[in-house]
Amino acid sequence: MVHFEIKNLSFSYPSDMKKEILHKVSLTVKRGEFITICGKSGCGKTTLLRHLKTVLTPYGKREGEILYKGKNLKEADLRTQSSEIGYVMQNPDQQIVTDKVWHELAFGLESLGCDQKTIRLRVAEMASYFGIQDWFHKKTDQLSGGQKQLLNLASIMAMQPELLILDEPTSQLDPIAASDFLNTIRKINRELGTTIIITEHRLEDILYASDRVIVMEAGRIIADDMPENIGEQLLKNKHPMFAAMPAPVQIFHGISKESKVLEGRELSCPLTVRQGARWLDLLFNGMALKETRIAEKKSNSEKGSSFPAVKLKEIWFRYQKDSPDVIKDLSLEIEKGSIFCIVGGNGTGKSTTLKIISGICRPYRGKVFIEGKPLEKYKTRELFGGILAMLPQDPQNLFVHKTVKEDLEEMISRKDSRREEKIKEIAALCELTHLLDSHPYDLSGGELQRAALGKILLTNPGIILLDEPTKGLDSIFKITFAGILKKLREQGTTIIMVSHDVEFCADYADWVGMFFDGGIVTTNTAEGFFLGNSFYTTAANRMSRHLFENTVTNKDVISLCQQNLS
Amino acid sequence: MSAEPILKNYYIISSGILLLAIGMFIMHYEKKRPQTREIVTLSVLSALAVVSRSAFAMIPFFKPMMGIIMITAMAFGPGAGFLTGTVAAFVSNFIFGQGPWTPWQMFAYGIGGALAGVLTKRKIMEENKRLITAIIGYLVVQLIVGPILDTSSIFIMGNAVQENYLLTIYIAGIIPNAVHGLATFLTLLLMAKPMLEKLNRIKIKYGMAGGQSYEI
Amino acid sequence: MCFLHCHPMINLVFYLGAIFMGMCFTHPVFQLCALLLSLSYYVLLFKENRLRKLLGMSVFFLMIALGNPLFNDRGESLLFTWINGRGYFLEALYYGISMGAMFVTVILWFSTYQQVMTSDKLLYCFGNLAPAFTMILTMVFRFIPDFQKKILQITAARKGIGKWQEEGKQRTKIEQGLLILSLLTSQALEHSIVTADSMKSRGFGSGKSTAFSIFQIKKSETCLLFLMFVLLLTILLCALAGGMSAVYFPWIELSSFGSLPTSLGFICYAIFLSIPTVLHIREEIIWYILKLKI
Repeated sequence: MVHFEIKNLSFSYPSDMKKEILHKVSLTVKRGEFITICGKSGCGKTTLLRHLKTVLTPYGKREGEILYKGKNLKEADLRTQSSEIGYVMQNPDQQIVTDKVWHELAFGLESLGCDQKTIRLRVAEMASYFGIQDWFHKKTDQLSGGQKQLLNLASIMAMQPELLILDEPTSQLDPIAASDFLNTIRKINRELGTTIIITEHRLEDILYASDRVIVMEAGRIIADDMPENIGEQLLKNKHPMFAAMPAPVQIFHGISKESKVLEGRELSCPLTVRQGARWLDLLFNGMALKETRIAEKKSNSEKGSSFPAVKLKEIWFRYQKDSPDVIKDLSLEIEKGSIFCIVGGNGTGKSTTLKIISGICRPYRGKVFIEGKPLEKYKTRELFGGILAMLPQDPQNLFVHKTVKEDLEEMISRKDSRREEKIKEIAALCELTHLLDSHPYDLSGGELQRAALGKILLTNPGIILLDEPTKGLDSIFKITFAGILKKLREQGTTIIMVSHDVEFCADYADWVGMFFDGGIVTTNTAEGFFLGNSFYTTAANRMSRHLFENTVTNKDVISLCQQNLS
Repeated sequence: MSAEPILKNYYIISSGILLLAIGMFIMHYEKKRPQTREIVTLSVLSALAVVSRSAFAMIPFFKPMMGIIMITAMAFGPGAGFLTGTVAAFVSNFIFGQGPWTPWQMFAYGIGGALAGVLTKRKIMEENKRLITAIIGYLVVQLIVGPILDTSSIFIMGNAVQENYLLTIYIAGIIPNAVHGLATFLTLLLMAKPMLEKLNRIKIKYGMAGGQSYEI
Repeated sequence: MCFLHCHPMINLVFYLGAIFMGMCFTHPVFQLCALLLSLSYYVLLFKENRLRKLLGMSVFFLMIALGNPLFNDRGESLLFTWINGRGYFLEALYYGISMGAMFVTVILWFSTYQQVMTSDKLLYCFGNLAPAFTMILTMVFRFIPDFQKKILQITAARKGIGKWQEEGKQRTKIEQGLLILSLLTSQALEHSIVTADSMKSRGFGSGKSTAFSIFQIKKSETCLLFLMFVLLLTILLCALAGGMSAVYFPWIELSSFGSLPTSLGFICYAIFLSIPTVLHIREEIIWYILKLKI
C-alpha cells in the first residue's frame, strides 16, 4: 500500500521567489518502508520532510501534489495527521515542551483529548518499550542529550503513528547515544512495521537497514536506489556526497575500478564493517598477501622542538565545594604547532579541561602553563589578545550582533588601521566573504561554525581550543573545516580539540589523548592511538585489521589492497 | 460581630480582591483560545523575565524583570503584559519563596505590564522614543508598581492599619523603588529597541505576522 | 500516606485553609495552636539550617510585636509616652504580639508549602480549570533551568574570547549583563519556534484536550478529604457564631472557652492543623517498624 505519494512538488520562499528550494520532486513511500534521504546541508531535504505534515509546511509558493493514503494531504484533518504522522526534529532540547518526563510522554495524547485511562496505559507502555522507567519522574532538564531525543521519540510513539519522519535526529548526539537512537529506530521499523523516512549524516548506522536511499541536490532528487547501488551512482556523477558514505562503501569503490583480480567475480558492495571484512576475505580469497604494512607515514611532529604550548601539571578540579571531582590529577603536555585531539565518553571532563586551559574554570590544585608561563601570571587582555582563544561547543553563543561582519568587528579595536583588511583576510580564509552581511542565525550549522572560527582567529591566537567543532556538520563541511585547520597548523598554530568524531581525528590529528574518569589515560600519535584500540577506532581499521597491520584511514586500506592486487 | 475578623482584616480583603481580579483575567484569557505560537512566545518571555536577574548577578539590586515585562507588553499589548507580569512574579516566587506578598507581586507586575501596553497603544511609549519610554517606565515603577508592592506589608498590621503606618511604609519604599525604577529605566533604554527588533524578526521569519501559506 | 506525597488536592485544601484561617483568627489560644503545629511540621520537614531561619523569624516576631504600638496609638493601658507625646499602649503591644505570631505562622506554613506543593502538583490543581494558563506555567518551569544554563554557557563563551571583565565599573557590568540578556533573548525566541512546531506537530490546539496527571486519589485520601471539609465547615460555623472573636481595642476581650463555638472550633482547628504533622510522624513510625522486621 502506498503511504505517501509526492507528485512534481516545487517550492520557493516568498522572500526569494526565483530560487526553487524544491524542484519537481516526485517520490512514493510504501507502508513499512525504511527510506534514508541524504544530501548536503541546504539541499532541500528538511523542506521536503516538512511538506509531509500540514502544520509544519513552510509558507511560500508551491506547485504539485502530495497524496496521503491516496487522498490530498490537506484533506486529512489535524488530529489524524498529528497521531498518524510523527515528526522528530534535529535539536533534542528545543522539542521538549514540558518540565517533567511523564508529562512530556503524555503531551501528545493530552492534545488529542484522550482520557486518563488510555493515557496512563500508553505512557506506561512507551516508558517500558523505550526503557524510560528509571527516569520517568525526572525533570526534563536533567536528562542527557541522548535521553532527551529518546524521550522526544517516545512521546511521539505514544500516539501510535503509522509513519515516522526524522530530520537529522542524531546530529547533536555523541556517537554512542546516536547509535542507540538509530538502533531504536530500526527496532520500531522491524517490530511495529512503522514506515520510516529519515535524513542523516551518520550513514554507517542506517544505510544497511534502509530499503531505499535517496540523494538530493539543489532541490532535486538525483538518486533513488537500493543502498548497495547508491555509492556507484554517486561515484559516477563524481558527487561530493560520496565522502559521506560509510567506510566500507568508500573502500569498495576505491579499489574495484581497476582491479584485474575482480574480473569475472561479482561482489556486492559491503555496507557494514562485518560485510566489509567478509568482502576483503573474498577479495583476497586464498591469496598470500604481499604487503600487510603500509609504509611509515611521515610524522608531523618533531619532538622536543621547543617548550610545550600548553602544560597541565597535576590538575584537580570540581565545580562546587561538595561536588565530586571532575578532573583528577591530570597532567598533559601539548606540543607547539600540533593538532591535539581529546577523545572519550560523555561527561568525563573533556570540555572542562578546555575551560581550565583557557582560565574559565580555576583548578583548586595544580598548575597550568601557557607558553611556559603560569596561566595566572597573564592579564586577560594579554592572554586573549593573541595567545589563546576558545571556540565554545555552541557557536551561537559567540554571536551578539545583527550581521556576521559586526560580530567580527567586535574582535578588533576601532583604532586598528588594518581592521578592514584583517577582516577580509579572515573572511577569505574561513570562506565567509559571501556571508558577511547575513544575520548569524540565518547561517547553516557549518557556516556558523566557520564564522565562529573566523571570529576567534581575528585576535591571531597561537593556541586555539575547539569544543566538538564537527558536531552536526555534514561531511562536506567537515572537509572544508579541516582544510582551514590544516592551513592554521602550517602557520604554526596549536590546535587543541575535543571531539567524538573518531574518523575526523584519524584523518587530521597529530596527537590523540583518551580521556577517562577525570584524566588522560593514554596519549599517542593519531596512528598509534587508533591502531592500539579495538573499539575506539575507525571503521577502516576495524574491517581490515585481520589482514593488515597498520591501516587507519580509508586511504590506507585502499592503497594496501591495490598493492596486493596489482 | 461574627464575620468581623475577616471583614476587618484589610490584608485579606485586599488580597482577595487582587486574586479575584487575576483569576478573572485568566478566565478571560482562556476564553480567547490563544494560538500555540502566542502561548510559546509568552512563556519564553515570562521565563526570560524571571531569569533576567541572573544575567546581572554581578550587580546587586539590579532587577530588570519589570523592564522585560514592559517590553513584552509593548510588543503584544496590555493583555499579554498583564499575563507575563503575573506569571513571572508567580514563578519567580517559586525560586525566592512564596508568601503573603505573592498576590501583590503578581498584581503589581501585571499592572505594570498592562500599563505599558496601554501606553504603547496610545503611542506614548514607543520603540523609537527611547528616552521617553524609559522615563515612563521609571515613573510607573516609582509611582505605581513599587507602592503596590509596599502595600503588601499591611499584612503584618492586621486590622490595625492606620494612616501613619501606611505613610511610613510608602516613605520607606521611595529609595528601593527608585533603584528598581532605575533598573527598569536602563532595561527599557538599552533593551527595548533590540528586543522589539528580535520579536519582529521572529514574526517575519516565521510568518507570524498573519502571512498565510499559498495553498496548493 | 505521608503528607508530602499526598494527593495534590489534599495539600491544596489544607494550605488554603491553614493560611486563610491563620490570617483571620486573632484569638491568642488559636494562634498559639497554629504556631506550634506549623512549627512542628516545619521542624519535621526541614533538617538543615532550620535554627538560623527560626532565629531570623524570631527577630521578625519581636520587631512586629514591639513595633506595632509605634504605629498604633489605640488602647487603654498606657505604658509610656514617646516622641510628641504619643502613647505606647499595652493593648497595642498585645496586638503586636498577636500579629507577630500570625506573621511567623503564615511564613512557616508557606515554607512547608514550598516543599510540599511542587510545581507539578500545583499545575495539576489548575490543569482542568485554566488549560492555557497552566500550559504557560508548565513551559515557564521548563524554560527557566534551560535559560539559566544558557546564561552560564554564554558567560563562558565570552570569557573564552577575552570579552568578559570580572571586575570593572558599574557601567561595564550593566553592559555585559545586557549583552547576555540580549543574546539569550535571541536564542530563546529562535528556539521557541521549534518548540511551537513540536507542539503543533503533536496536535496541540487541534481541538478539545485533556489534562493527564500521574496523581491518583486513593480511597483513604478521599476519606481524609471528606474529613477536612467537615472540619472546615464546623470551624466556619463556629467562627460565624463568634467563637474565635478577639477584640484588642480599646480593651482586650476574648471569647471564652466555656462557650461551645469556641471549644468546638478550637478542637476542630487543632485537628485540622495537625494533619501534616500527624501523617508525617505516623509514616515515620510505620517505616521504622517495617524496617525492624527486615
